[in-house]
Amino acid sequence: MKRKISPVRIIVFIILLIGAVTMIVPFAWMLSTSLKEANLVYTIPPQWIPKPVDWKNYIEIWTASNLLTGIKNSCIISVSVLVFCTFTSSMAAFAFSKLSFPFKNAIFVMLLTTIMVPLVVLLVPLFVIYTKIGWIDTLLPMIVPASMCNINIIFFLRQYMTGLPKELLDAAKIDGCGYFSAYWRIYLPLCKPAIVANVIMLFMITWNDYFGPLVFTHSESKQNIQVAIAMLNSHYIQQTDIPLMMTASLIAILPVLILFIICQKYFTESFAMTGIKG
Amino acid sequence: MDCISARSKNIKGKGQSKLKRRESLAGLLFVSPTIIYFIVFFLLPLAVCIYASFTNWNILSPNRVFVGTLNYERLFVDPKFWKALKNTLFMLIPIPIYITFALLFAYACHKNILGQKVFRAIYYLPYISSIVALTLIWMWLFNSKYGLVNNFLSLFVDNPPSWLSDPFWTKWMIVIMISWKLIGFTSIYYIAALKSIPKSYYEAAQIDGAGPRQQFFKITLPLLTPTTFYLLVIGMIGSLQTFVEVQMFAPDGGRGYGVGTIVFYIWQKAFSSSQMGYACAIATVFGLFILVITVIQFTLSRKWVFEGN
Repeated sequence: MKRKISPVRIIVFIILLIGAVTMIVPFAWMLSTSLKEANLVYTIPPQWIPKPVDWKNYIEIWTASNLLTGIKNSCIISVSVLVFCTFTSSMAAFAFSKLSFPFKNAIFVMLLTTIMVPLVVLLVPLFVIYTKIGWIDTLLPMIVPASMCNINIIFFLRQYMTGLPKELLDAAKIDGCGYFSAYWRIYLPLCKPAIVANVIMLFMITWNDYFGPLVFTHSESKQNIQVAIAMLNSHYIQQTDIPLMMTASLIAILPVLILFIICQKYFTESFAMTGIKG
Repeated sequence: MDCISARSKNIKGKGQSKLKRRESLAGLLFVSPTIIYFIVFFLLPLAVCIYASFTNWNILSPNRVFVGTLNYERLFVDPKFWKALKNTLFMLIPIPIYITFALLFAYACHKNILGQKVFRAIYYLPYISSIVALTLIWMWLFNSKYGLVNNFLSLFVDNPPSWLSDPFWTKWMIVIMISWKLIGFTSIYYIAALKSIPKSYYEAAQIDGAGPRQQFFKITLPLLTPTTFYLLVIGMIGSLQTFVEVQMFAPDGGRGYGVGTIVFYIWQKAFSSSQMGYACAIATVFGLFILVITVIQFTLSRKWVFEGN
């Protein structure tokens, strides 16, 4: 397609440029502040390129906050959820799209209703249930329910698998394949692009989760990264070290950001595909 | 002959029913984690929430007394609840803002504006970032004395607002933040939807002499209504549950409870005041409120959403 140059296009381009600057400024300001000495923060007018550039915060943050434990816990949670949830959800999606079994539609509609109920309705009872079974202040409330299924991924993969031919299953059955190996050896590999897109989304959601860990954990050793950096909030501590706060934010954003840069194609694809679902 | 074919039919039928049973068993087995999840982590807590809302439940004391509708009666005269509801409805303001900007952005991308790939990557950046990290950045940006925003505003006005201590401005700060965060994400839906509109529609319109503006308002916009509707529904469900921003910007709900939202209030009641029965009553009412709003949206959608063929 040829690009025409017209006054309207130039105006739109300028508007988009202003928008892009607005999107980036907070992040640039975070980076700039994280490289400042604490006393340099309060200069007016604000200094964009710190003089001198101070990397000290990136060393100090590991001892000044609970970030390391947070990263460790977030990694444990994310990896377990990614592995189990991808497995259980894709298996359920396979059953919903390719097998016929009693109450199939009823179960599917049942899952739909879970989206309508806000999480906060379930929060208090879940807290009490977890207290009863000794799950409070462990990582289990973040891992177990999320590992059993993710409704969005089930919908998404079901849609995707419906597009795959059913003949593959019949052929597999003739060759003596069981249902599980038909799923594991044939359909799962065919869903790879969709799975990758979902794994990225799931990682983003799990890594950025704050509400669950906030409610279900208390001790510092069980905090995830989001709770750990939230503790740097100036409302909770006496002395605010703003550069340190920005350093922690940057570190918290970095893993998803790197993944986003590497797999940008998959990211937008997964967004778009889930969009079509609605 | 007849006998044989009947027998073979019989065998076939038996074999098929056996196969069918195996398939049913496999299917149920494959969805069993999902069913267990639904029962244990959804149905059970939901039932407990509704039941608990009729008791004076409190995590500290073991005796639970049935109090009938007392919690619900209390809720209607609780001024903090009504304030929280007002603040929650305030959080609907970002929806039209980011939807409009997202549509314009998506349209520009669709028209293949220069640098659209770079623009898209940049516009998605806020969405993938952790909300906690964003609130920390936001607090520093909107710092009343040294923040970048007020530094900029002081070029134009004498007294830029103190965003973090004045509840009114804190709420606007949240509105700006949510709008900013969701423009890129929302535009993805519109970009996908714009791609799916057949080119022939525009060609036909051109032949009939419709200009670009007419094409946009008479073809593009109506054909995008299903997407807009979907975004409105998920946007409302999401906005009404605003929590993290409130908890970070105003840990006590703000002066005169001017910032606290319903989810924040439930969280406070359950875990700070440990009035779990009352918290469950608010949660039940709130859940019903969201349900009713969603149903209303679906009913109204018949009036404006284009259904096509």
